[in-house]
Amino acid sequence: MSVSVGGVKLRGPVLAASGTFGYGTEVPLLERRAMGGMVSKGIFIRPRDGTPPPRIAETPSGMLNAIGLQGPGVEAIIHDYAPRWAGWDFPVFVNINGESAAEYGELAARLDGVPGVAGFEINISCPNVEQGGLYFGNDPRAAAAVTEAVRKRTSLPVWVKLTPMVSDIGVIARAVEAAGADALCAINTFVGMSIDLNEYKPRLSFRTGGLSGPAIRPLAVHLAHQAARAVRIPVIGIGGIVRAEDALEFMVAGCAAVQVGTATFANPRAIAEVHDGIAAFLESRGLGSLADLPRYLPRD
Amino acid sequence: MFLLDGAVVAKRQVAREMFVISIDAPEIAASVRAGQFVNLGWSPGPLLRRPFSVYRADGDRIEIVLKAVGEGTSQLLTMGAGDRLSCLGPLGHGFDLAAAGAKCVVLVSGGLGVAPMPLAAQEAMALGMRVTWVHGARSSDELCTESNGDVVIWATDDGTKGFAGTAVAAAPDCDLVLACGPNRMLAAVADRWADALVAVETYMGCGTGVCLGCAVPLKRGGFDRACKEGPVYRAADIDWPSLPSHLSYAVTA
Repeated sequence: MSVSVGGVKLRGPVLAASGTFGYGTEVPLLERRAMGGMVSKGIFIRPRDGTPPPRIAETPSGMLNAIGLQGPGVEAIIHDYAPRWAGWDFPVFVNINGESAAEYGELAARLDGVPGVAGFEINISCPNVEQGGLYFGNDPRAAAAVTEAVRKRTSLPVWVKLTPMVSDIGVIARAVEAAGADALCAINTFVGMSIDLNEYKPRLSFRTGGLSGPAIRPLAVHLAHQAARAVRIPVIGIGGIVRAEDALEFMVAGCAAVQVGTATFANPRAIAEVHDGIAAFLESRGLGSLADLPRYLPRD
Repeated sequence: MFLLDGAVVAKRQVAREMFVISIDAPEIAASVRAGQFVNLGWSPGPLLRRPFSVYRADGDRIEIVLKAVGEGTSQLLTMGAGDRLSCLGPLGHGFDLAAAGAKCVVLVSGGLGVAPMPLAAQEAMALGMRVTWVHGARSSDELCTESNGDVVIWATDDGTKGFAGTAVAAAPDCDLVLACGPNRMLAAVADRWADALVAVETYMGCGTGVCLGCAVPLKRGGFDRACKEGPVYRAADIDWPSLPSHLSYAVTA
């Protein structure tokens, strides 16, 4: 079940998605054996309060969230969390954010070489911050500039998490690949809105939120596939994975690994169940390893 | 914290449209403290679990109290004996009754806010406190009349039973006040008793501290998590105008 993805060898193909696993220290009933890796909650250099409530709203087969990247900042990562990650038997990637390319680079530099930090997932796709975030993700030049700024400041693996809110994800994928990304994560949440008919206003205080969960899965499989067709670097599929079959759809569509996110909220054992289900699938189909899994990936 | 499948054992009506469901969940029943909650999921059901304060815990069973306020709670109310629920809990920090060192306690609840009070009364009595039970609702038919206190005071907005007015107005002063109900009611509690311990209502995602969806705005600035640091807070510590009330599925976790 081991896979090599963007500069790191993972013992399994299932990772915890950013924002759905905290810093790995809060998660109940953690089954480490099943963890291919974890991506931390997104951080900025400085602590952030996040957005006022209501921050979440359930929608059909999905949820909207606008947390606003609440977090303790880089110092807390260095002093409180990384020392714990250093003792873990799976790699922890830090999801990094900034209001400028230079700020992303600065954050990577601060964390480069800190024991416990296995690499970076550049977030150029958060829909819930006023500055930065999504802006960098839907302009190929800005996306490349951020990737390059990080690439220059670290020798650790650099992954880039893409937004679905673009007209051609292949263009962005190629731009960040050329700028030095080791892998792509596809995709972040879709921007959505839901209205409270009692109050005649949006259900979230931020007005809009990021839509996740099974509602977005077919959209996500398509976009991850489009990204995988566009580049040579590995793509990690994300979007509405609840069961092993969902993860396998992403993998057949061209992804080297997957991240499980929202499903963990409802089922703390979701990652372990997806991991075990993939192993059972491979065995039932007589496939010796993930490398033997047939892929549907015609090249562009 | 436990994750277990428990069978619905019984359901009883305690007021108009208000029901108590009892669930077989031995590990949770044995460890839950007043003010803590369980996050319930079922299949087929909504994507996210639904949080409920534990109303009573007796032997192997826990009880929750609910109304059909949305699709999730409507589905829950169609369940009968033998139907299975996935129970995650106990979650959150409950009322710390012992730390207060009080000789008496007043439990003030409104509507579904009665949820954590039976357990609170039980713990207070075990500590030798004199318990005053104050519960209010809009009218007598919406009033849950199950109670556990040395003194019991009812309040209805329309005056059809007990004190005519709010539970907060009906309550006497005391060393220690615990309250639960709509957040607007808890804001009134904070005005009267800064040191009251209140259990707030919020939307919740995971219930375990990872999603940061259940943000509670604090007076000192910033937010913390109803599911982890809460749901019980010192009343004066919350920035009440920034905490929404009237949630469409008014959970009392």
